[in-house]
Amino acid sequence: MSELLTWVFAVLFVLVVIAWYLSYTAARLDRLHVRLSGTLAALDARLVRRAEAAVELANSGLLDGATALIVANAAADSLEAPSEHGEEREQAESDLTEALDVALPPELVAELREDPVGRDVIGRVTSACTRVQLARRFHNDAVTDVRRVRRTWTVRVFHLAGYTPMPHTIEFDDDVSALVSE
Amino acid sequence: MKVGIVCPYSFDLPGGVQFHVRDLAEHLIGLGHDVSVLAPADSETALPDYVTSAGSSTAVRYNGSVARLNFGPVTAAKVGRWLEQGEFDVLHLHEPVTPSISVLALFAAEGPIVATFHTSMIRSRTMQTAYPIVRPSLEKIAGRIAVSEDARRTVTTHVGGDAVVIPNGVYVDRFAAAPRRSAWIGTPAAPTVAFLGRMGEPRKGLPVLAAALPEVLRAVPGLRVLVAGPGDPEEVTEGWPPEVVAACEFLGAVSDADKASLLASVDVYVAPNTGGESFGIILIEAMSAGACVLASDLGAFSRVLDGGAAGAMFANEDPADLARVLVELLRDPARRRGLAEAGARRARLFDWSVVADRILAVYETVIEGRAAARFEPPARWSRFLPGGRTR
Repeated sequence: MSELLTWVFAVLFVLVVIAWYLSYTAARLDRLHVRLSGTLAALDARLVRRAEAAVELANSGLLDGATALIVANAAADSLEAPSEHGEEREQAESDLTEALDVALPPELVAELREDPVGRDVIGRVTSACTRVQLARRFHNDAVTDVRRVRRTWTVRVFHLAGYTPMPHTIEFDDDVSALVSE
Repeated sequence: MKVGIVCPYSFDLPGGVQFHVRDLAEHLIGLGHDVSVLAPADSETALPDYVTSAGSSTAVRYNGSVARLNFGPVTAAKVGRWLEQGEFDVLHLHEPVTPSISVLALFAAEGPIVATFHTSMIRSRTMQTAYPIVRPSLEKIAGRIAVSEDARRTVTTHVGGDAVVIPNGVYVDRFAAAPRRSAWIGTPAAPTVAFLGRMGEPRKGLPVLAAALPEVLRAVPGLRVLVAGPGDPEEVTEGWPPEVVAACEFLGAVSDADKASLLASVDVYVAPNTGGESFGIILIEAMSAGACVLASDLGAFSRVLDGGAAGAMFANEDPADLARVLVELLRDPARRRGLAEAGARRARLFDWSVVADRILAVYETVIEGRAAARFEPPARWSRFLPGGRTR
């Protein structure tokens, strides 16, 4: 009799441990998904601000007419791109980066920094670009963490991630060389 | 912005991480932010008013060296109270994988977390055993900073993902404004060379410099070598040739002001470190003070010196090469001046005003992400509801 009880308790104990581990893993994954949606929203906000800073640069009269058009066009494409991240969106952002890179060669940046209005505008564009880089880096870090946990055996077998789609890293060129000092 | 910074190492002793935390906190306070630092410290140690003590630390052997750290249930409770009272917008942890209050804070914290990785020397055995334990809480870190490319590599190999490289900061102006001291200024016949660092620590490279000196003294007989740093000269110079000992002047441990003056006065500052340097803040201090820098070609040093454009380099642990480059420099004042000017320009990139801006950008990104996540509908059980699939 007592042997039976021991067995019952042992089995119960094991079940409790398994249940605890599963709910712990689910909570851990949930926390990661919350972080992921946050980093994605932050990246979206930063991208909009970068496009706005680019529009401001194009309208500032600091660039020649043709270059200003290129920048304004790329910025508009970025603002109008579909809000889901996908190839089209990433292409639009890479294009904006390239437009800024073409519009702002190092000599021009150095020249504009001498001028009070220019320093202001360049400062805003620089800060917007570095913040896009940070936001994308942090988002991709979160994606890596989520994917690593979702690859684990427990998460796959017990379907702990539910129907949340598997996240993908967001890849586009965000490096405007003349604006980044180090 | 309310910022909580956690420093794992005791404020009783000087050290790179402690100085970084202190300078960052003071700079942010200067910008008008509300900063609180939590660090271990003995009750006797006088602390700035923005530092909260997490109690006194214990010397522990971890990751191949002895560190003064602080842990245990009482400390954990203290960390929890500090977090609760602080109500920080962002929590900035330093060295989150040392067994200390950084880990305790990481376990307890809920809000946006930024972590800075300083070390590049974490042994992989330590990592393999430690990571499964800390990994779930490391996933709470929303923004990772590495102080150097080497530290970043440690993060990418062991933690996974990536980190933003933001170097340590220096108050460039404090060094640039340091008065020169006539006793330390060299003359063409008797130029001066400085070494800084613990003498007894072989990784700081004093033995390499000593081995190079006989050769250098043959070419430049009047050379004076000023050695600053804690250590016992008699013990260190045992076995050195007498002419080398005669050329050296031992200044002992120097104050920050003296260090700046020394760097501003000498003809060449030599950093013969053989390894273990993740970043090389001392090089930037020397460059800020306007010294011509000669350093071993460690990866970290080479990056600080811009591959040799902002300071001369020699093959690491090669006294013959050190002697050759040092003699060349001592004989060529124009080249020394050129390197010193290039170094002073480059040092500006590491000024706290630049560095703190980048750290603040990280804080803002992380806070913004957290604020956006808070408005998401609760997702946890929604998949069991009709339509939960699309949310």
